[in-house]
Amino acid sequence: MMRLFYMLTGLLLTVVVQAQDITISGTIKDGENGEDLIGATVAVPSLGLGTSSNTYGFYSLSVPTGDSVRIVFSYVGFQSQAFTLLPKADTTFNVNLTTGVELDEVVVKANSFQEQINSTEMSVEAISTREAKLLPVLLGESDILKTIQLKPGIPSGSEGRTGLFVRGGAQDQNLIVLDEAVVYNANHLFGFFSTFNTDAVKDLKIYKGGFPAEYGGRLSSVIDVKLRDGNNQKFAGSGGLGLIASRLTLEGPIQKDKSSFIISGRRTYVDLLTRQVNRANEGNEDFSAIPDYYFYDLNAKVNFQLSDKDRLFLSGYFGRDVFGFSSDFFNFNFDWGNATGTARWNHVFSPKLFANTTFTYSDYQYNINNQITGFSFGLGSNIADASLKTDFFYAANNTHTIRFGAMATHHAFTVGRLQAGSDDGVVNFSAGQEFNGVELGAYVSDEMKFSDAFSVNAGLRLSGFDNDGKTYVGLEPRVAARYKLSDRWVVKSSYARMYQYLHLIANAGVALPTDIWYPSTQRVKPQRSDQVATGVSYLLGSKYFLNFEVYYKWLDNQLQFVDGAQIFVNDALEDEFAVGEGRAYGMEFSIEKKEGRLTGWIGYTLALTRLQNFETLDPNGRFAQESEGFGPFNPIYDRRHDISVVALYEITKRLTASATFVYGSGDLTWLPPGRFTFQDVAGAGFEAVVPDYRERNNYRLPAYHRLDLGFVYKFFPKWGESDLTLSVINAYDRRNAFFIFFEPEFEGEGNNTSGIEIPTRIAAKQVSLFPILPSITWNFKF
Amino acid sequence: MVMKKTYLKLFFGLLILGSCNLEQEVEIDLPDYEIRPVLEAYIEPGERFRLLLTRSAGYFAPLPSLDNLLEDLLLDSAEVTITHNGVTYVLENTLLFDPGTQKIYNYAAGPNELAPTESDLPFALNITLPNGQTIEGETQLLAQIEIDSVVIEFPETDEPGDTLARALTYFTDDPGRDNYYRRMLHLNSLDSLPEQDFVTDDRLVEDSTIAFGTGFNYAVGDTLLTTLYHISADYATYLESVEGAAAANGNPFGQPSPVISNLGGTANVLGVFTGLVSFRRNDIVMKN
Repeated sequence: MMRLFYMLTGLLLTVVVQAQDITISGTIKDGENGEDLIGATVAVPSLGLGTSSNTYGFYSLSVPTGDSVRIVFSYVGFQSQAFTLLPKADTTFNVNLTTGVELDEVVVKANSFQEQINSTEMSVEAISTREAKLLPVLLGESDILKTIQLKPGIPSGSEGRTGLFVRGGAQDQNLIVLDEAVVYNANHLFGFFSTFNTDAVKDLKIYKGGFPAEYGGRLSSVIDVKLRDGNNQKFAGSGGLGLIASRLTLEGPIQKDKSSFIISGRRTYVDLLTRQVNRANEGNEDFSAIPDYYFYDLNAKVNFQLSDKDRLFLSGYFGRDVFGFSSDFFNFNFDWGNATGTARWNHVFSPKLFANTTFTYSDYQYNINNQITGFSFGLGSNIADASLKTDFFYAANNTHTIRFGAMATHHAFTVGRLQAGSDDGVVNFSAGQEFNGVELGAYVSDEMKFSDAFSVNAGLRLSGFDNDGKTYVGLEPRVAARYKLSDRWVVKSSYARMYQYLHLIANAGVALPTDIWYPSTQRVKPQRSDQVATGVSYLLGSKYFLNFEVYYKWLDNQLQFVDGAQIFVNDALEDEFAVGEGRAYGMEFSIEKKEGRLTGWIGYTLALTRLQNFETLDPNGRFAQESEGFGPFNPIYDRRHDISVVALYEITKRLTASATFVYGSGDLTWLPPGRFTFQDVAGAGFEAVVPDYRERNNYRLPAYHRLDLGFVYKFFPKWGESDLTLSVINAYDRRNAFFIFFEPEFEGEGNNTSGIEIPTRIAAKQVSLFPILPSITWNFKF
Repeated sequence: MVMKKTYLKLFFGLLILGSCNLEQEVEIDLPDYEIRPVLEAYIEPGERFRLLLTRSAGYFAPLPSLDNLLEDLLLDSAEVTITHNGVTYVLENTLLFDPGTQKIYNYAAGPNELAPTESDLPFALNITLPNGQTIEGETQLLAQIEIDSVVIEFPETDEPGDTLARALTYFTDDPGRDNYYRRMLHLNSLDSLPEQDFVTDDRLVEDSTIAFGTGFNYAVGDTLLTTLYHISADYATYLESVEGAAAANGNPFGQPSPVISNLGGTANVLGVFTGLVSFRRNDIVMKN
């Protein structure tokens, strides 16, 4: 009894003592343009206290009353500022940081590495837009999403393999959010470029594991992209003229310090050229008209400081790829793209409690329209989401930071909508399925600081999905722990369970716009993963950061296609699925340097992914791997080794050189080990060579490696800044394999009309996509 | 099919530098391959019971020449029977060449042992290979489906150069069951390769008319031979899987798949045993 009394008294005293703390809170911004600084550090070194700003630049720190405190605010690339405060009550203290340097080398403090040592977050990679703009890029288009694939754990692309396969996860297992709206297809031109215009992006972070509880819905990664808010100090702009596309960004204050806008656009113009070529060759019968292709995207955002406690943000994205071909008798149009809209309201309830409420709308669709004289054909698919979510950030005290929130999303799917028929109406057919699903989520997490050395972030997410008369509910525990052995050494571990209720029906390799998003239904269960990861990081001196991590992932309810699957125009698409399980495990090592003239990183990943035990949903379906005793197999994105070396060197204030080298084990491909002849029926041709495919993904392509070089030369005209960027992709002209096929060769006269042709030999041919590709872009900023 | 052609067009359209040797021959080491028997057995109304039994080969195994083609391919000395309506027909190992269709068979029943023109009863196939392994199959003859009409249409222009017509083929589908069809179009003679060869089903048909069309390719005086096969689901699956396997080679967007046979037994066989009911008509292109 007495023991209980002492315990309660002790607890009460703790609360009372804590209650005597004062909270200093506010927003940290970039003084030059008013952008919120995400993850800026706020520290009281004398008391060993610290915190960091959230994604809206908001921070909250509890300090004891009575004495003055010296608070240091810092952020990578900016001059730290220190203030001595003597707060008597809870105080709002907003800070504007500036870079404070003119043209001298920006001294990057090691605080970004220190932040990584202090944080419980692991399995995270971030990249700055500065790095993304300096690294060599395909056809001069800097692409922050492509650049982050140079970090370990994310296979850095291969020839034409454009999906993202994070830690052995399939390409639909990545949650990509742009200002909190989900982007379903972040690809232009079949994935060679992403939909993110680097000029409009403020921050990009990718989580490969240890997912915070506020994220859910995909198994293998979260890619959180934040757009810039727009310069609220003065009108500014930037852009570039490149080989295949141009872009322009304009931003400025609507009301200085209080509101701003930013609008950013980009378009390719190869089609203007090809149309001229077509026109010039109109009379030429041997000439095949080149199809039209272009893409464009537009980002727009406004934000308003409504009061000291309220901010409102409205942003939108619209992008399209358009492909078209027309002749006298034949018209073909294919377009696809995303549209997203977000409205967000930040509200500060108290110095300790911050909330963000977001309404988003996201739409991805593709449309194919085909017209031949007398007949027309239309095919399309679409997914449209309307989502409402709210997230609270409660800095209870310096040992507990609590986050909680909830979300609800309504998904409307149209799958394989087909309308075809003759103009006279005699022939008519249609197909398509429609689904409406509701996805729900609620979470709570607590970042607990037990001591300076030991912190734990423990969370729980409850998710659910309702569709087709079936409701699925899942509990997703999330735990991450960090133990600091010293200021330089830290050991981290994490566990996360994730559920995924939407599935991408696609061929495994290339990201095609006709890939279909399909919901969980009565027969199609949600995918599930459990991932454990553990790692150690070491800060070597002040310049080098070493990170070593191992992970193991269990994957359940993974989908593959059955043999001979009919993907297009199929109202019973579920009959084409087989369901199985997977295992992915690996090790990632990296060493990074952020200070000095030479910066960059080296990353190495050793990984394995295996799929097994597939059963078809349709009892009559066939999945040869199992039925013929072939057993487990590796998906095509199973890459054993992956190395990236990235180096940026500031030769002079004006000239920066960069180099990227990637090496990876070849992807797997499915080649036929045998062949047979097919005579067929009367009137049909004789096929001397038909492939006999057996075990899945039975051949590993040759290793993929490539060196890219880049040079950026800066100019400083009176009106602003400009640079000429020269990129050379594949500098030593390596012919990496895109795919391999077998070509029968025929010698002598073939007896074509009777249809019997026997090849004299069969050659294995390898197709590559990119030879050495130089490009030049002119970029400007005012 | 439209989809694959589109991507191929776009893909090749983008290979502006295609002349820069982006395709090259390579040496590859394929995994071990176990040779399998390959069977094509069609029950054709009014025709002799006959079939072709061959063997597959490793992809890079030496190719036969036209001279030793048969010797290399044919799988002889098997025991083959087809049973129908209580009667068992023995197919002897004999080389048969049909000059009309230019097709060969290495097993055939007697010249008077013909498949019925129609029957509701199943046909059962049993084969025992020289090594003791077996092949089994079962099939039926479906009802013949007639072509309702073939409409020849010339373009509605005044251009003197527009002299070519297209053909629209119409037939009626039975909505009471799932049906599969194969339709071939030949120009002037069945000896040549078909102009069109499609396999389709009636999944998407809203009323009961199915149509096939062509481009404006045919001159006055041309003879169009249209053949409509009413086929089984497993034969349609087999044909699509063969076409899919052939198309996946060379197409980076293709989904490879093993060939889906409808045969059983212990021999790990690849192939098809199916009834083949057809309707054929000839039409001459004329300006009306």
